[in-house]
Amino acid sequence: MNAAAPEPKANMGQPVPRYDAVAKVAGRATYGSDMPLDNPAYAFLVTSAIARGRINGFDLDDAKRVRGVIDIITHENAPDLKESKLFSNGGYAGTTIQPLKSADIAHDGEIVAVVIAESYEAAREAANRVKVSYTAATPSASFDSPGTTKAAAKGQNAQFKEDPQVGDFAKAFDEAEVKVDAAYETPTQHHNPMELFSTSCVWMGDDLVIYEPSQYVYGLKNGVAEQLGIDADKVRVVNPYVGGGFGSRGSMTPRTAIIAGIAKRLNRPIKLVPTRDQGFTIATYRAETRHAIKLGANRDGKLVALRHEGVEVSSRADPYCVGGTKTTTRLYACPNVDSLVSIVRADRNTPGFMRSPPEVPYMFALESAMDELAVKLDMDPIELRRVNDTTNEPIGGKPYTSRSLMGCFDEAAKAFGWSQRSAAPKSMSDGDWLIGYGCAATCYPTQMAPSAARVRLQRDGRTRVEIAGHEIGTGAYTVIAQTAAERLGVPLEQVAVFIGDSDLPPGPVAGGSNSTASTCSAVMMVCDQIRQRMFKAMMPRQSLTDKAKETVGIGRTPTMQAAKSDRTLDLERAFDALGVGVIEEYGEWKPEGAPPDSFKAMHSGHARLVGGAAMKDKIAYAFGAEFVEVRVNRFTHEIRAPRLVGAFAAGRIMNPRTARSQLMGGLIWGMSSALLEATEIDQRTARYVNDNLADYLVPVSADVPGVEVILLSEQDDHINPAGAKGLGELANVGTNAAICNAIYHATGQRIRKLPVRLENIEV
Amino acid sequence: MSGNSSSRLSGFDRRAFMACAAGSALVPMTARAGALDAPAPVAQDPALHVEITLRVNGQDKRLSLDPRTTVLDALREHLKLTGSKKGCDHGQCGACTVLIGERRVVSCLTLALAAEGQEITTIEGLATGDQLHPMQQAFIDNDAFQCGYCTPGQIMSAVACVKEGHASSDADIREYMSGNICRCAAYPNIVAAMKQAAPEITKG
Repeated sequence: MNAAAPEPKANMGQPVPRYDAVAKVAGRATYGSDMPLDNPAYAFLVTSAIARGRINGFDLDDAKRVRGVIDIITHENAPDLKESKLFSNGGYAGTTIQPLKSADIAHDGEIVAVVIAESYEAAREAANRVKVSYTAATPSASFDSPGTTKAAAKGQNAQFKEDPQVGDFAKAFDEAEVKVDAAYETPTQHHNPMELFSTSCVWMGDDLVIYEPSQYVYGLKNGVAEQLGIDADKVRVVNPYVGGGFGSRGSMTPRTAIIAGIAKRLNRPIKLVPTRDQGFTIATYRAETRHAIKLGANRDGKLVALRHEGVEVSSRADPYCVGGTKTTTRLYACPNVDSLVSIVRADRNTPGFMRSPPEVPYMFALESAMDELAVKLDMDPIELRRVNDTTNEPIGGKPYTSRSLMGCFDEAAKAFGWSQRSAAPKSMSDGDWLIGYGCAATCYPTQMAPSAARVRLQRDGRTRVEIAGHEIGTGAYTVIAQTAAERLGVPLEQVAVFIGDSDLPPGPVAGGSNSTASTCSAVMMVCDQIRQRMFKAMMPRQSLTDKAKETVGIGRTPTMQAAKSDRTLDLERAFDALGVGVIEEYGEWKPEGAPPDSFKAMHSGHARLVGGAAMKDKIAYAFGAEFVEVRVNRFTHEIRAPRLVGAFAAGRIMNPRTARSQLMGGLIWGMSSALLEATEIDQRTARYVNDNLADYLVPVSADVPGVEVILLSEQDDHINPAGAKGLGELANVGTNAAICNAIYHATGQRIRKLPVRLENIEV
Repeated sequence: MSGNSSSRLSGFDRRAFMACAAGSALVPMTARAGALDAPAPVAQDPALHVEITLRVNGQDKRLSLDPRTTVLDALREHLKLTGSKKGCDHGQCGACTVLIGERRVVSCLTLALAAEGQEITTIEGLATGDQLHPMQQAFIDNDAFQCGYCTPGQIMSAVACVKEGHASSDADIREYMSGNICRCAAYPNIVAAMKQAAPEITKG
């Protein structure tokens, strides 16, 4: 065991190495643009240089003279594509702005032409020779731009169902002994997964195969079919490996159907690898947000009033929002709560899900305000959380299925050395460096979605699991293989997993941290179907009690260790009794509380996530506590975060190795959301300025000296058969607040707007 | 580049290549459609292919390439060696890192023509048969990746970093590996992997 493979505690699986490890280190993992194509033509996008206006016309002569150019597609000759509804409103699309549909330009970097050529080099050159004449209008860039409109989120976005409220906030806040009233801001951010937003489309007759990094192959398959006006069974999306998603690939972007339509017309495979900067405008992003928080408390720290107002930017066309008040109004005990989420429409591309969509911005506001309250109360911030810890959420009074928030605080505080902190701001230093310690809570809803699976077991124990899940780096292959091996009692090495292909049984969108819980619950159910078949064959007169199922055949050996001993005989006997060579079972699992149309929606690529705060008589969240040390140079104001410590409880940990890695990456994302990442927008032109990996700052190795992840043992029997809460989006929540809280401790300066750069420090 | 390579460029002379290479360098990598009144670039025709031989993972590969083809695109689109990844095409992310000779280079910023006559090593050429290179094994042992897309570049960079003598401390590794972005942020595990593999590599 090394640090990467923590010793499993109670209710944790084995920290086995990743299923796909060898393929990934050997360069054999095939991502979308790695797929070999037969005589492909290459596409290169031309995107708009204005954010609002109209195209007067094109001068394509120069571009067409480039040797190797096959065709140039603009709105004047584009394939006819049908519209698709917004993902958040029950459709497939991340935006309803459909490029190449008309001469209108709705945002910066909108696709205005696609050049097709014999080579990538020729397509690129010709694309750069396409000249476009525009009539530009003045765009609205963001919150304070003239021409924006603002309206409540409720009623325009189907996923945003309520503005949670309880009690009488106004009166309670008015009468509160101690108050915090503060405003916070978070910036525009882009996912920037390492793999570009590529698409390859290959037609074989009327059948289309799409190789594209996707977090939802069923959604993409059905969405593209809808846009092309063809039967969804004619479309297959293949992506056994995805080079990072972080939410950017959950909904369909316009590029796919465009490329598919052109490939059909040309009767030739087309490969599109957009540039890094095009990725800033042809896909989604995290929009900037603003928050007004009001907290009222008694002198003992007990919250009596809480109000959270959030405002988010979206595009003119689409009412996208993340609406994190469903979490922030329920985290702490408080009898009087009010909230409101509004959307401001600007001339921008439509934003979308980005790792921990609601919680990253909304918890920044709440957890910063909690720290401000602790300062006003002269109270340890951990103790403030303890005083307001609760077993039931305050809005509807529903009980948390399990809640280890304070356990996480205590474990992380101990590992971090919180007791060494001297509470007064500016009281700790090391030479030129002011030292600050800060902490914050994290939480993320436990979500699940319907999922199908097919499992095949052979006489020799070889097992094949098929499910259209997604390997975006989370360890999906690994935990699915572990689940099947444990449930069937076969050695892990005998299990082959097939995911990332829409020809496989439908799985959920790889978003909202629901994948592990959903896919593993489905795999468990189907493995049980196999066990039941074997049981019936071997003991036909016995009734199927759970006890009996555990004592026959492979079911008797639930661990890998035991499976390696003498199980062959049982398996052989079972197959003899059945009289078959292979047992194959298919099943569809749905979580408690899933709507009646769940399975239908699952097949048509509509995500139906349930759980979190939306459960009927309970509420399910994963929790954690994060501690950071920051160092601020008193002369240069350089800010460093040498230590990040997080403790997390998320139900059953399927694999401590992959879980730790994901949480570690999350902590670094959280640090980055506070100190590094922001997409700069030119307020006059509504265009992104730093649209590349040199100017859009993401963490590099030198930015992250010390990260420690602590996994708490937690068992929760009220969420799903796998017992797992999602954790992919847990660790990068609250980190931004912890950093600003630490900066306050180091400098005495409260920073309420992200990111924090050295020019913002006024020591 | 070896001195006689230009003689092997059939139907093409070095002066013409330099002219069009300079011309294409003036064209931004991304097509942002400018206004009609922007000055039109001088028309070139660089699409005349050149015959070159690239030595990749110990094998000579004869190719007919557009002279603007980068090493990365030559590997990926012409030699079907897709282990090296395109993450930015600007030399900003490191996903395309290969070894040319002993040096780690971003293959997206290296023209294939400029690599002729040199030994190119990619992730596919690192293992010996089924025996993984110590750095590859160390990446597995320390879970030094998640999505895996940056991993080939990280591993190639890590191998060179050790050989450069820049892996003697954690701080050194972090500094000299900061040209390779891992968006999943597996950095602490990458550092651990390099510390595991470094003694084996320097010993061997």
